Parts: sequence; structure tokens; C-alpha cells
Amino acid sequence: MRIVHYLNQFFAGVGGEESAGMPLDSLKGAVGPGRLFEQLLGDDAKVLLTLVCGDNYAVENQEEMVAAAVQRIREVKADLVIAGPCFQAGRYGMAAGALCAAVQSQLSIPVVTAMSEENPGTDLYREMIYIVDSGTNAAKMRDVAVMMMNLAQKLVDKIPLGLPKEDGYFRRGFIRDRFVEQTAGQRLVDMVMAKVKGEPFESEMVPTTFSPVRMPPGVKDLSQAKFLLITDGGLVPKGNPDKIQGSAATRWGSYNIEACDNLKGEDYEISHGGYDPQFVRQDPDRLVPLDVMRELERAGAIGEVYEEFLSTSGLANPLSNTRRMGREMAEKAKQLGIDAVILTST
Amino acid sequence: MQLTLEIHPIENIQFGDSTRLQGTTLFVDADDLRRLLLEDTSLIGVEFDIAQPGESCRAGPVFDIIEPRAKGPDSSPDFPGILGPPHTAGFGTTHVLEGAAVTMLREKSPGDSRGATGYVLEMSGAPAAGSRYGSLHHLIIIPHTKPELPDHAQQKAYRLAGLRAAVYLGRAAFNHSPPSSVTFDAIDPPAKDRDGLPRVAYVGQIFSRQRKPELDEQILYGIGTDGMLPVPLHPDEWLDGAVLPSYHTSLGGAETYFYQNHPVITELYRRHQGRELNFAGTVATIASANNFDRERNCRFASNLVRSVLKADAAILTKFGGGVPHTDLSETARLLETVGIKTAVQVTDLARDHKVESALLFNFSEVDAIVCVGGNSTSWRVARAERVIAASPELKEVLTGPLEMESLNVIGVANQQGASRLRAMVY
Repeated sequence: MRIVHYLNQFFAGVGGEESAGMPLDSLKGAVGPGRLFEQLLGDDAKVLLTLVCGDNYAVENQEEMVAAAVQRIREVKADLVIAGPCFQAGRYGMAAGALCAAVQSQLSIPVVTAMSEENPGTDLYREMIYIVDSGTNAAKMRDVAVMMMNLAQKLVDKIPLGLPKEDGYFRRGFIRDRFVEQTAGQRLVDMVMAKVKGEPFESEMVPTTFSPVRMPPGVKDLSQAKFLLITDGGLVPKGNPDKIQGSAATRWGSYNIEACDNLKGEDYEISHGGYDPQFVRQDPDRLVPLDVMRELERAGAIGEVYEEFLSTSGLANPLSNTRRMGREMAEKAKQLGIDAVILTST
Repeated sequence: MQLTLEIHPIENIQFGDSTRLQGTTLFVDADDLRRLLLEDTSLIGVEFDIAQPGESCRAGPVFDIIEPRAKGPDSSPDFPGILGPPHTAGFGTTHVLEGAAVTMLREKSPGDSRGATGYVLEMSGAPAAGSRYGSLHHLIIIPHTKPELPDHAQQKAYRLAGLRAAVYLGRAAFNHSPPSSVTFDAIDPPAKDRDGLPRVAYVGQIFSRQRKPELDEQILYGIGTDGMLPVPLHPDEWLDGAVLPSYHTSLGGAETYFYQNHPVITELYRRHQGRELNFAGTVATIASANNFDRERNCRFASNLVRSVLKADAAILTKFGGGVPHTDLSETARLLETVGIKTAVQVTDLARDHKVESALLFNFSEVDAIVCVGGNSTSWRVARAERVIAASPELKEVLTGPLEMESLNVIGVANQQGASRLRAMVY
């Protein structure tokens, strides 16, 4: 097993804060914790290269440092990259995380690092890479190294990892099903009774928090405003020309309504498996309210309705899809100089 | 209110010249049962088959699975509001053929989010091990309805045939003394010496109004939930035929069998018997079609749990797809705000297998969550030696080998509390 190990100046034994500005350097063979890694992985494992960089240099020149490090890792044809352990050293954690993430995505080889939960690198990179929970105590180097090498060996051998708790890494947020002994009914009663008794319990799912969306300023003059209608109710012209999927849609479409005073059921169909579409089928204006928008347009209450409406299907869709489609739609609205958007859902 | 379940274990089903129980073998007179089912003129024919645990056998698309049960004399009716008058369920004696099932098939693939196979009954291999239904002895009914029958009438015919067959078979236990019987400790009022145990309630969604029920659909005592408000039910009403699942397979994960053997209710009863808690009762509710209804329904449900059931804690389960999580979590949130502890059951509907997409609500109070997975489990199943379906086309679809998602194997991702799948976070 060919290993490259990344260390900061301190753990490489170069120096403390006074050496934090040192640029990326590479040393032959194992240094510091690297020797422990070799020992734990056995004879077959060799640290070919130890990359060392000062903490300040690494965060101030992150892109450059990472690119140079990736290049050296590529050159030595490494099978595994290890960074740290970083414990609670914040700059070290950020650099180790950035390097591991880049190596994984560019070279597709296993990477392992370790940090404490408080380390800012943990929050930034835990979803992308495996980060072993090192705690904050650097005296536990050996225990942490054991966990890191156990994980590394599994990754190299492509053995499925255990749960975060079992294998000592921070939850990355992947879901895999497992059959368990107890039925959901039994688990529910256990959980509620633990809660009643004030005993600890483990929720099987954790909520996601989202950063709040800032409320934009109001439209200054509606009578001059250009409106765009967008729906995720799956309204598409007959034949579904863009083949927008009725569930977990990856596409959205723009459909002309220029010459149209209101939408007719016979011209449209619905690609959405999550609601009862009969009422929208009867009158699509119930979903995309073109009829009332036209009235407002004629009355001069609004400026104009843009000549197309945008549509996709909002059912069982992963956030990665919806984020991308949302950005694409917002980009389009921006390019068209749209002042106001009416979004309708089901 | 007192219900006695007389339990007759079944270890084999065979066709025979009379319908009878002999030891643990249930003999079925197919001609006699056919005559009974064909009294419904919507049906022009029925076929029967038997599927045993461990057999290389696959059947589908499944409409419903029902445990054969029959009410004794001087008891509440069989499936009140549907087969009998809408009298309160849960009184008297119920003869239970434990280990047996009536499995009602459909004539065509539902073709919605359950795909071409619909729900499949799998009798061997890993999928069978993941479902309670894989260990039961099934009498499978293959219906043939009159041509040109509208969908709702067709499905009503399936419903009635399945229930009638289940009662017919259950009656084979009449005049047999059961090896065991179950009578639950009364919950209402609880015995004086049970004071101080936490009172735990169950709030179960029985339908999701994200769909309109079909015309004549019979969900609660024969009604389709139109205009329904949350309603308190005695637990025995659920177990004894008051509640049935919807025809809509896209709102899947519920079968009559697991109302009769409701996993949450039976577990609460077990711990009630064990004096770990006082079972406070249940509320049947629906997931709403819009926010206005949701506000009203969630408040009604939480008020009933608080003021009528006087519970300290509640377990909530949902029915259907994504939207019902909103009603579920809002009801739980309302309960938590008045100090009633909750645990809720959810399903993961997103297909990216990521935590960020999994949960459809985020209330800090609603923090005890059981997550039945299903989305990331599938099996490559082998060609089945025997395929039971209503047409050659369906048989071909089901024969295999094929890729079978756990959501399509009936019972695996059950939403009534029977699932042993758990979404693990890595």
C-alpha cells in the first residue's frame, strides 16, 4: 500500500507558530504519526511521502497548496492519502479537509483524516470525506491512529464501513437500510417510553437545518412589473415534450402562453404522481393562474405576464436536484428581467 | 368493552372436499367458497391458489391481505359497516386463524408509483424474510370481474370478496376449542391500582386526502373519510374490523392484516398488560388535502389526545406519501407544546439516500423519530418456480429474474408499524 501523509509544521516537528508560514514541502518516508500508521498497517504499507505545510500558509494559499499537493500525490501513484490527525487545530483541519476532498474527487483514491467535532474542518468537510473523531486530546494519538488505520484499511479493501459510532467517524449523512430485530411499532413504544422517563433515546433520523432565505424587497410598482409564472405541479403540454418525470424530476420546461387568455384542459397534461390531478386537468388555471393574471394585465394592475411559464414536478425530489433546478430558473428569470415570480405548488 | 381473541394456529392450508379445521391444517372447499363469492354479480369468476412459506412462489399484484377471522355469536359484527351493520367493533369473541392469510390479487397492474409489478407477495429468499407475510400460509384469490366495470366497482368487488373469504375461513374455527386465547386488560377506565403509570395514546392516520377516495370506498365503518374529523377509537375497534386500508396503492404500506394485528396497538397492549404503561386509547385521523383542513385536523387530534384520552405520551404514524408527514409532525408539535411526549414514524421518500432530503419537517420538539427505510433496499430475485397472477401478461412480468424494490414487496416497508427495516445514517 502506497501512502502519502499530510502534516502541519507542528506535528512534523518543524516548529510551532513561528513556522506557520512555511510553504508546502515534501519529505521522503514517514515522519511523526506516519511511522505509527506504517506500524499499524503492517509490512505491506509504506509512507512514500510526507507533505508538510505551515498552518498559515495552507489556509492563506489553500488552492495553490492543494493543487501542488495533489500533483505530488498523483506522481507517486498513492493508494491512500492520510491527513492529520488534526485534533482541534482549526487551520490544520481546514487544510487537511480541503486536501482530502480534492484528492478524493480528482484522484478517486481513499482518504482519511481525523479531527475533533469542534474543528471547523469537520463541519466543512464531513459530508464529503471520512473524518475520524479524534477528540481534542493529542495525547490519545495512538487510539486515534488505530481508528484511522482501521477505517483506511476498509476503504482500501472496499469493505463496507460500519455505522459512524462503530467505526469512529463523523456521520456523513448517507442513508442505508438495515433489517433490525424490532418492528417499527416496538421501536416507537421504546422511544416514547424513554422520553417519558427522561432516559436517553436515539432518534433514527435527524432533521436538516437550512439557512433562512432573506425576504427580498417588495415590488415597487406592480403596474410596471413583469411577472413570471412557475409551478412544481407538473403541468406540461400534451405529450410532455420535455419528458419531465412525474417523480424525482431532473428537468423543467418553459411553455408558451403568449396568445393565450386562459389555459385549457385539453392542451395540457400533468406529470406528477403525488396529488389528485383531476381538478387541474379540468382547468389548468387552478394551478397556473393565467386567467386572473390576464385580467389584472388588462386592468393595468400589473405590467405584463411573461410569454412562457416554467414547470417541473415537485415530488420525492432530492435536494441536490431541486437546488440546481431552482438556480437555473432563477438565472433565467434574471436574464429576462423578471420583476416578480408567482410560484404555485400543490 | 371486552374483546376475546381465540387463537387457532394454522400450519398448513390445503384444498379439500369441505372447509374445515383439522388440527393445525385448514382445508378449503374451493367450490363452496367460489359459490359464496360469486353471489356478488360484479365477479364472473374466481380462482384460488395456495402459497406456503419457503416455496419458490410469487404472487401479485396484491390488492390486500387479510387474516381469516370470524366473530362468534353475541359479538359485534364481522367488518361492521361493510359486511354487517355499522355497530361498534370490538365486542365478544373473534376466532383467529393465526398463521393463515387471505391474499386478494388485482386483475391489472396498478401502474402508478408501485410500477408494473404492483405489490408482490414473495414466499422465499431475502424478500420473504423481510416481511411477516413471507411466513404465512396464503389462500390466494384471483378475481375476474365483469368487463367494463369501472375501477371503483372493480376494487369494491375485490374488497368484499377478500373480507367475505376471510370470514368464511374464520368460521371453520367455530366449535373448535382454541389452544390459546387473549383478553386484554381493560383500558377504560383503568383499574385503580394502575394509577401513576404513564398514559400512552396512539394517533394513526388511516387515509391521506392527497387523493380523493374512490366512490364507495370503505375505510372506516364503511365510510370513505369524506368530511371526516379525527375520532377517538377504542384499540379493539382497530383490531376487530372497523378500519380498512385504501384501494390506492400509491398510498401504500397498509393492509387489513396489520389493522387486525396492529403493531403499535398490540405493542401498547403488551406493555399495558405488563404494567409498564396505561394504554390511554387511540385517535384515527387523516392527512389533509390543504393547510386549512390541516390546521383543523391537527388541532382536533391533539385536543382529543389531551382532553379526552388524557394522555401523557402519544405515538403517531402516517398513511400515504410525503404530505402526510406535515399532518403527522404538526400534530406531534402541538402535543409537545402542551407537554405530551411523542414518538413518530416516518418513511424516507427521497431517492438520493441522503439525510438532507430525508425528513420533511424540522421541529425541535419532534425529536423522537422512527424511520422505516425502504428506498435503498432492493433484491435481484430469481425466476420463481410458481407465479400466481390474474393474466398471462402479469405472470410474465412477475416470473423473473427481476429487480425487486423493497417498497414493492408487500409488508417490507409497512407503515402501520410492522416493518423491521430501519434507515441507518452513515
